[in-house]
Amino acid sequence: MDTTLSEEEVMVRETARKFLEAECPTKLVREMEKDPKGYPPALWKQAAELGWQGLALPEKYGGSDMPLTYLGLVLEEVGRALAPLPLHSTVVAALAIARDANEELRSAVLPAVVAGDAVLTWAFHEQNPLLLPEAVQCRAVADGNDFVINGTKLFVDNYVAADHCLVVCRTAPASAANAGLSLFVVDTGSAGLSQVPLVTLAKDKMSEVTFQNVRVPQGNLVGALNQGAPIAEQMLEQATALLCAQMLGATRKDAEMAIEWSKFRKAFGQPIGAFQSIQHMCADMLMWIDGGNLLTYEALWKMDQGLPAGVEASQAKAFCNEKCEAAVRICQGIHGGIGFMMEFDLQLWYRRVCAWTMRLGTAYEHRAKVARALLDRPGRVILGRPVPVVADA
Amino acid sequence: MDFGYSPEQEALRLEVRAFIAENMNDAVRAEMDSLSEGFGVSPGRHSGGLINDLFKKIGARGWLGISYPKEYGGQGGDRMTQYIVEEEFARDNISLGLGGSGAPAILAAGTEEQKRYFIPKLISGEFSFALGFTEPHAGADLASLQCRAVRDGDEYVINGQKMYTSSAHVSTHIYLMARTNPNLPKHRGISIFLFPMDTPGITVRPLWTIQNDPPAPIGTTYGTPRTNETFFDDVRIPASCMLGRENEGWRVGALGLNLDRVGAARYLISVRRDEDIVNFVKRNKFDGYSPASDPAIRDKIAELWIEAQVCRLMTMRSMSIVEHGGNFTYEGSAEKVWAPEHGVRTTEAISQMLGPYGQLLNGSPHAVERGVYAHNLMGAFQSGINHGSTQVMRDQVARRGLDMPRK
Repeated sequence: MDTTLSEEEVMVRETARKFLEAECPTKLVREMEKDPKGYPPALWKQAAELGWQGLALPEKYGGSDMPLTYLGLVLEEVGRALAPLPLHSTVVAALAIARDANEELRSAVLPAVVAGDAVLTWAFHEQNPLLLPEAVQCRAVADGNDFVINGTKLFVDNYVAADHCLVVCRTAPASAANAGLSLFVVDTGSAGLSQVPLVTLAKDKMSEVTFQNVRVPQGNLVGALNQGAPIAEQMLEQATALLCAQMLGATRKDAEMAIEWSKFRKAFGQPIGAFQSIQHMCADMLMWIDGGNLLTYEALWKMDQGLPAGVEASQAKAFCNEKCEAAVRICQGIHGGIGFMMEFDLQLWYRRVCAWTMRLGTAYEHRAKVARALLDRPGRVILGRPVPVVADA
Repeated sequence: MDFGYSPEQEALRLEVRAFIAENMNDAVRAEMDSLSEGFGVSPGRHSGGLINDLFKKIGARGWLGISYPKEYGGQGGDRMTQYIVEEEFARDNISLGLGGSGAPAILAAGTEEQKRYFIPKLISGEFSFALGFTEPHAGADLASLQCRAVRDGDEYVINGQKMYTSSAHVSTHIYLMARTNPNLPKHRGISIFLFPMDTPGITVRPLWTIQNDPPAPIGTTYGTPRTNETFFDDVRIPASCMLGRENEGWRVGALGLNLDRVGAARYLISVRRDEDIVNFVKRNKFDGYSPASDPAIRDKIAELWIEAQVCRLMTMRSMSIVEHGGNFTYEGSAEKVWAPEHGVRTTEAISQMLGPYGQLLNGSPHAVERGVYAHNLMGAFQSGINHGSTQVMRDQVARRGLDMPRK
């Protein structure tokens, strides 16, 4: 048990921070809000030179095979700088492909990802926004050597930038044997695909994607037919924990800016940061962010060990959704009116963190998941042990 | 980062559990219940014969003073080992930690002679300290304390009053903070003295807490029925009773308090109710009504459980920092904000889950688990007050952790 960062982990963090401080000013963040693709390909390529896209991918495809905790550290820095890079959606899909796709598909997709020549995304959400198998209605039907997909996906991250989208489809009704889901890698240039941009609080790229008789070769099936639910679940758990890291990075930077502001801004004859009312809010922010960090890295660490980590990911996201939201709101409060101004940079962090709290599961959904683990399975629970403890050894 | 335990640590945990399963029986539990010891029993602070035997067995296993050096009666082990053992025993209301014992400060600041004299007997329970910090007009602002120690030849003469000297009536010694130089700024004129409670001139008067009638069941958070006020009238002690150097008592005391805040006890005091309530609602129905099926209760339980993980992980962080030989800037204070406030939130939420049953005290018909939740409601907030209130702790997080200005 050691919650501190190793020298190598510190180096990963520092390298990423220095790079983004140099290469990703807020001017770029603002420009990309208006960019049709939402990201600068040159920066994406530079990120690849640093090895970010392939950080946790197998060496065989050019990756570094490093743990997810390292990827978390990089995404924390991406969040800190609000770097307009489609890194989260790309690595989430790439990790699932690396784990469960066939060799041909892996070789076709992953080296391009590692090289910074491809952007990936994934699609699960539909009209029912819950991340549960029964919410998936988008149909894929076998037809000769292809599958034909029909349906509509919502809230697809970076779709306009993506070369491939990992789509969760219904291939059978749910049964006792399986949930009837399958995953497919879909080339976004395929005939029959169309997208409508959604306008988000974060002003990043998100789409509604419609599949109209989109043909996908059978070889693009990821995992076995109808056995996609656990694959999707693992993908979503990783996505959840990694998004927490990104949120926390952004929230910590936001808090740092507010704390600096409180030391500089004077009222009633002293810096407002000398008032205990402000100090206690800042202390709370620090403790919330630290708490979120601990929960998040415990989840990522467990995933790296191959241990079940769904409960841990949900713990982190439920906590981060509420605490990060509260923290960035406090940062706005400490800044007063200026934080509300478009030309002042603080709003860039506020809008993104708020948007991220609404993605990949609400606090209610994640707490419901934790409650199921705690209350609906037999056995006693013991704090600090995996949940549930079925037999008390 | 490594969020796991080593195979040796896991094996130790199982060994401790097996020991507890083997040695905790109804007779021992009944004896523990009869002692009104609040959190639980610790070596030396009780009179029960069965419990004394139990502590002898625990000592024979080498589970007392695990992280203390061998030359002072400890086992020379690491803190994580100590933590694991403490945590398992604490679940059965047995306190093995030396937090609040004075031992951390003596180890950090004592003379060789003091270490050899006190620490082995603090570990065995033969010695115990009453903590003489708080005064009627010095609580959160402890540095404004007025109890005086005046040098007279080879002795100091102590005069003053201490409040909430909780175990003064059963302790062998007192760990006293007194002012040795009233002309220096308040933090700099304080010294610490260690001396026997039977020194002439000491008077102990009981202060009864709201947990005394009916007595809180064992395991209650701050279930202690009694604390004390202690008076010092021309108490003469040898100058060699001083811990650390004259007028440096504030620094020495802070050293000890900081270490006191780390470990299983602080964490478990505040989070064990989460575990208890989950297991309770899983097992119990009220004429068909199952709290475990109530959506509002489910959401609240999950929220509390998540907070409890934060408390656990903050403790792990403090331990990790200490294991690396580092010092906290704000992390110990953060732990001391989160755990007690979480404990209060849990206690209050449990009251709302249990409704009218939640108000029933020990001995009442229909009391849930002997009224422990109702008694917790009387005690939980106390953990956010003593050893530094959560408000003072937030000041420290802001000033030490964030370098925020005093003015």
